Amino acid sequence: MIKHYIKIAFRNLAQQKVLSGINIVGLSVGIACFSLFLLYAVSEFSYDRFHKNTNRIYRIVEWWQGEKREPGGYAWAYTPVAPAMKRDFPDVEYAVRLKGSDCLVKADNKVFHTSITFADTAFFQVFTFPLVYGNTQTALQQPNQVVITREKALLYFGTANVVGKTLELKTDTTFIPFTISAVAENIPANSSVKFNLLGSFEHIANDPMVQQSNLNWYMTIGMQAFVQLKPGSRLASEQNRLNLFRRKYYPDDYKPKKNPTKEDLIQTSFRLQPLRDIHMNPTIEGGNDPKNIWILITIAGAVLLIACINFTTLAIGRSANRAKEIGVQKVMGIRRNQLISQFLTESLLLSVLSTLIGLLLAEGLLPLFNQLADRQLTFSISRFPELAWLLLGLTLLVALLAGSYPALVLSSFKPIEVLKKKIRIGGSNLFTRSLVTLQFVLSIGLIISTIIILQQIAYMRTKNIGFNKENLVMINTERIDNKKIYPLYKQAIQHNAGILGVTASEMGLGAGEGQMGTGYRDYKGELQGVIEYPGDYNYLHTMDMHLIAGRHFNPALASDTTGAVIVNEALVQNILGTTPEKAIGIQILNAKGNRGTKTIIGVTRNFNFEDLTHMVRPQMFYRPAKFQPSRIFVRLQAGDPGSKLTLLNNTWKQLAPDAPFEYSFVDEKFDNFYKNENRWSSIAGWAGGISIFLACLGLFGLATLAALNRTKEIGIRKVLGATVSQVVGLLSKDFVKLITVALVLATPLSWYVMHNWLQGYAWRINITWWVFALTGAFAILVSVTTVSVQAIKAAMANPVKALRNE
Amino acid sequence: MIELKHISKWYQVGGKPTFILKDINLTIKEGEFVSIMGPSGSGKSTLLHILGMLDDANEGEYHFMDQPVHSLKEKQRSQIYKQHVGFVFQAYHLIDELTVYENIETPLIYQNVKTNERKAMVADMIDRFNIVGKKDLFPTQLSGGQQQLVGIARALIAKPKLLLADEPTGNLNSKQGEEIMDLFKQLNKEGVTIIQVTHSEKNAGYGSHIINLLDGRIEQGN
Repeated sequence: MIKHYIKIAFRNLAQQKVLSGINIVGLSVGIACFSLFLLYAVSEFSYDRFHKNTNRIYRIVEWWQGEKREPGGYAWAYTPVAPAMKRDFPDVEYAVRLKGSDCLVKADNKVFHTSITFADTAFFQVFTFPLVYGNTQTALQQPNQVVITREKALLYFGTANVVGKTLELKTDTTFIPFTISAVAENIPANSSVKFNLLGSFEHIANDPMVQQSNLNWYMTIGMQAFVQLKPGSRLASEQNRLNLFRRKYYPDDYKPKKNPTKEDLIQTSFRLQPLRDIHMNPTIEGGNDPKNIWILITIAGAVLLIACINFTTLAIGRSANRAKEIGVQKVMGIRRNQLISQFLTESLLLSVLSTLIGLLLAEGLLPLFNQLADRQLTFSISRFPELAWLLLGLTLLVALLAGSYPALVLSSFKPIEVLKKKIRIGGSNLFTRSLVTLQFVLSIGLIISTIIILQQIAYMRTKNIGFNKENLVMINTERIDNKKIYPLYKQAIQHNAGILGVTASEMGLGAGEGQMGTGYRDYKGELQGVIEYPGDYNYLHTMDMHLIAGRHFNPALASDTTGAVIVNEALVQNILGTTPEKAIGIQILNAKGNRGTKTIIGVTRNFNFEDLTHMVRPQMFYRPAKFQPSRIFVRLQAGDPGSKLTLLNNTWKQLAPDAPFEYSFVDEKFDNFYKNENRWSSIAGWAGGISIFLACLGLFGLATLAALNRTKEIGIRKVLGATVSQVVGLLSKDFVKLITVALVLATPLSWYVMHNWLQGYAWRINITWWVFALTGAFAILVSVTTVSVQAIKAAMANPVKALRNE
Repeated sequence: MIELKHISKWYQVGGKPTFILKDINLTIKEGEFVSIMGPSGSGKSTLLHILGMLDDANEGEYHFMDQPVHSLKEKQRSQIYKQHVGFVFQAYHLIDELTVYENIETPLIYQNVKTNERKAMVADMIDRFNIVGKKDLFPTQLSGGQQQLVGIARALIAKPKLLLADEPTGNLNSKQGEEIMDLFKQLNKEGVTIIQVTHSEKNAGYGSHIINLLDGRIEQGN
């Protein structure tokens, strides 16, 4: 029986080449899209599952909760806390602290810039990172031992077998030799804990900063800490035990305050966050929002749905032609469920074929997708075993989704009526119409969203952000003796042709750069954060930031390096509550509410130093007496930067031969703020393009069927004098109506979604009506063109042929 | 009114032409009522389609009201056709989705007749054919004879000079058939030139003139 079903299914596919083609192309594209996003989702949810003890590993987080503060956690760990937990809780098996640091590596006389992580010796007992060479028991025993990943070993030495070799590392001011104790397998992409080089925590234990933080339980030095609990321990859910622990070491937190400020009312506590939870928990700093994955899956599902709808509407549209076959089979005694099986076999066959083609397509598109998603994914069943049954389920789901409605409708025909041709089902019943409308609502909505996202990105890129970010090179001077080298470097390059200015700062600018801030009292007595920029005298000038009151720094005035600050408009407005003119000469109140030593000598116009989701925050510029810049900024003349960069590089090599010349363009660093937006616009754009393509593919099929089902009518109308354009109009009219309805539905829907999205930006565009008009015109144009191809063919046909056979 | 000179029509079958019409010469004057007869496959319908400008001949000349149809462009030909020719089919060929009224109105829409004028013309026609009570019904709700009546009304609505009918009574019973033939006779008296294809000697008898076709040629001797 099944053999019979498959035989008939194959013949039907072969007989209806155009329709089968449309179905297979549509479903394969839909499945390709969906399986790519599925792979992405599976990989995102697979983070950190590969450790042997994953379920017993927790990260120590500090949890903040208050009346005026949304609850949330920070993954910083005070230096003494993890060892204290190990000491105090018998069910803590191991505790591991991780402290990352920028460093320069010298290997085989080449210098590289990378990062090193210092970890407690239990690291390899807690985390499962297999070693290629070396022994997990001894790898971190000595303070000057280092574990290197295979990838870095190959980069530095050209071989992976490097145990026993020496690396020179500079994390502070001098190169120190380290012995390689082990080589680790490359870190899986879906790991939250990552390292390039892994050193022993012992090595930094004597660092003054670490020692200080060991004594001051409130001092954070950018460290993370993990504990592994003994089997059966429920410490993570026993919050009262953790609170007692907190109370023991932070008694001050529990003393009542006389005049509590807003910050005093925030309750802080320690929590243990499961390792598995780190990547996908947005309430703790650094975690991703799983909402985004569901949005992606929804978009991919919409594309797939459009392809399935094509199958359904085309099958219904063709039913008139199949009615006779069904009638004959019914007369011969086929049961209804046998008919249903036969139709479902057809859709299953199609779905299996499409899944195979779709997976090939997805494999081909993977590099592009990886670029889009910023991941290195592979279709690996061994890495993601759940992928196998997800894809199998997808195949069945597609078959059912696409095939069940036609199977039910077609199998319900009554044989006598069918044979007497009383049944008329065209491509025009309400259900099919609704489905086609839905397809276009989705496609139009996606296209509108894409345009609006692109508009917002263009707006953010081109908005005047208050300083000149073009032709500005930023050189990373971390880990070099800047006090000495910066003046020499400036001296060496500043008078060359094409160099318009040189300055330096202790802070970088743009995406991925850190910020430094301190709290100050505002005029209402509240504490407010101020972002600080310790820079050279000519910093503001080189950046093209304009003063609106007061004066610039003057190198001739000694007092300018002790207490003079230039602030921005936001600080004047939010903290001082006054005007720029009146702000000059004011001394700012420090966090304790005392007149500090900082006197305002100038006010600069606001500039957007962060991405445009934020309003400009209060900012302060000053020239410290002990100036240790970590970034040098060079303003170039507009035009090809090639020769100027060569000059910068050569000069650098002479002055700092031990450090790599690392530079970036500040405008690119600012563009990088919008990486996510770019990704979303690409995703929405692709999805929109694919879905309109699929919807039109379906429309083409429906138009073919409509022309076929109306052959006789078209013939009569032509005999009655209809012209080709009148016939085309007749056939297109119905479809244009559907698309107009879709546009009417999609407009408020996408307006609402995009309006909400834009609320996330402090600086945003207004949604304009022409976006909708343009998209609507585009959709109608594309679909009319699609339909016309068929309609013109039908209209040009000789009517005699249509009317001849009776 | 109509003059055919050396009209031939053929199809290529396996490289050789198969003739459907061969060297047809024919003159029909205004006001005539001509019946084309002949066995199945003799080319009657093809001849009617060529006369109705729905089909082209491969060879020969066709003059309609002193216009050389064979050398006219599609647009001009369609213009002549719309103004002067009405068609009646054996299977009626009404549009199932439209009512009786709308079916009759359709040719006027394609001739860009204004709405008011259209209303008046259709109302006249419906009156004349005594189908006022049926004007809002759909074709499937009518009997065969009534459907053919609508078909004829539709063919006449644009006041054509020439009415072409392809076995107009083929699907009707004899009583209905007679009524249709009487109607044709009446129309002919009013000045409409009629050419009909028919199998029936009796129906052919209503006409003023019979053309016998055999294997694509006109049989002489009548």
